[in-house]
Amino acid sequence: MILHPGVLALLAGSALVSALLLVSAWNGLVILRRWDLASGSALQLSLERRTYLVSTIVGYVLAFEVVSLFLYVYTADALAPMFTGAMCAAGTLAADGWGYPVLVLRLANFVLAGLWLVVNRADTLGHDYPLVRPKYVLLLALTPLVLAEAVLQARYFLALEPEVITSCCGSLFSRGGTSGVGAGLAVLPAAPLAVALYATAGAAGGAGAAFGRWWRGARGAALAVLLGAAAALALAAGLAAVVSWVSPYVYELPTHRCPFCLLQAEYGWVGYPLYATLLGGAVCGMGAGVLVPARRVPSLAEAVPALQRRLAIAAAVLFALFAAIVTWKVLASHLAA
Amino acid sequence: MIELRDVRKVYNEGRPDEVTAVDGVTLAIAPRTVTVLRGPSGSGKTSLLSLIGAMARPTSGRIVVDGREITSLPERFLTDVRRKTFGFVFQQGNLVRGVTTLENVMLPAYPLGEPRPALLARARALLEMLDLGHRLRSKAEWLSGGEAQRAAIARALVNEPKVIIADEPTAHLDTKLSREFMEIVARLKARQKTIVIASHDPVVAEASVVDRAVGMRDGRLDGDGA
Repeated sequence: MILHPGVLALLAGSALVSALLLVSAWNGLVILRRWDLASGSALQLSLERRTYLVSTIVGYVLAFEVVSLFLYVYTADALAPMFTGAMCAAGTLAADGWGYPVLVLRLANFVLAGLWLVVNRADTLGHDYPLVRPKYVLLLALTPLVLAEAVLQARYFLALEPEVITSCCGSLFSRGGTSGVGAGLAVLPAAPLAVALYATAGAAGGAGAAFGRWWRGARGAALAVLLGAAAALALAAGLAAVVSWVSPYVYELPTHRCPFCLLQAEYGWVGYPLYATLLGGAVCGMGAGVLVPARRVPSLAEAVPALQRRLAIAAAVLFALFAAIVTWKVLASHLAA
Repeated sequence: MIELRDVRKVYNEGRPDEVTAVDGVTLAIAPRTVTVLRGPSGSGKTSLLSLIGAMARPTSGRIVVDGREITSLPERFLTDVRRKTFGFVFQQGNLVRGVTTLENVMLPAYPLGEPRPALLARARALLEMLDLGHRLRSKAEWLSGGEAQRAAIARALVNEPKVIIADEPTAHLDTKLSREFMEIVARLKARQKTIVIASHDPVVAEASVVDRAVGMRDGRLDGDGA
């Protein structure tokens, strides 16, 4: 194991998140089985008090989970000089077989945790705990994934030893490279992905902006569904396009397709705003879509469309920023000339 | 209408010092009436009052105010109910020292963000109604016991609540001031307020303005409270 502040923070953070989520999931199970708002029993009143506490704690815990995705990648990048052959986070993650599975889990948990925070926010806007059941169902689905992430991450970091010979991003993310997923992303055709990126980000941004204007009634609900679907597609297309199409323009090297070197100082840390806007826009957009059924809940009839509107506008702004950064990097690149 | 359904309040539940302060109280309080909860010290009057006023949550049971069940409300909604539905008068004035009487009365309204001129006018009117027009600029610590109690009543009324909750309001007042307090209660009743008072003072319980006196002992109601 390498005693790096990032590693220690991630291990401690994940242990804390896992412990708190386990306790919260247990409470969630009791709530799903015994919740009855019509009852004035001591158990029901106790559950009402506990769900308020649990929601607050889980809110902070999952906010850390969201942020720690970037800490994980940053730490992997910072550890790269310790491994022979590693040039960036790509090599560090390949130094042990669990590096990439943890990253995939973290990405999935980022989205799920973001959606839980959105659902939780909506639930707190109603006076009668209107989304308490869906909120805890989602939490129960999320908990094993976060636990798996914590275990695999610990397994990954504990097994990491300096001086391990690993592959560099040049071999992992290249046509005919050694990494299945990385090489697979690298061989994707750039031009269709560029179109997909602008089409999906444009659709999501457009739907978000349109929802900001027409957010009430059936038209608002339809636009929110469209926004949610477009945001999910934009996330997938955006991640693939960043690897296959955008990154060579940033590196000004047609053969280099690494999603991690973008996070380094020599490229102006452009990866952080790029991924933050894409992931943030996706979660906001999908969050607005996920809340569509809650528009029918009487106690949320006013509050949820207003929350969706804020999410939609945030999604539109974030996707616009993402597209602007991509366009800027492509047009400003010497490769484009 | 305030309705309590089988309300219990247990402090330190499951510990050796567990105390059941309110034990299965079912009670209906009609609007625009004066109700007095009377009983010896430790009978659960104050606990029941704090449950009615949403200052504490029951261990079990439900409380409905104007058709709205308030015991299940999340804290952010409960704060709003507490602020707008109830006005509180405590045993001691609990006025903020070093601040003028007028500012003390206006304090509970500040979180609502009402324009200051309107709030100022209402606070002045309340203090004048309670014969404290000449004490607007006096610091709280300069007021006599009776004046402090009247200032506390004005403060309880500043957000125009429907219900006034008073906990032993005459405990520190002599008989004359206690009677004056009950005269004020009569004026509040005439202004369509519902008033619930916890008191073991006979001057309060036997006042003509009181519609109903509910006895309490060991956390339970004496007789039929419903």
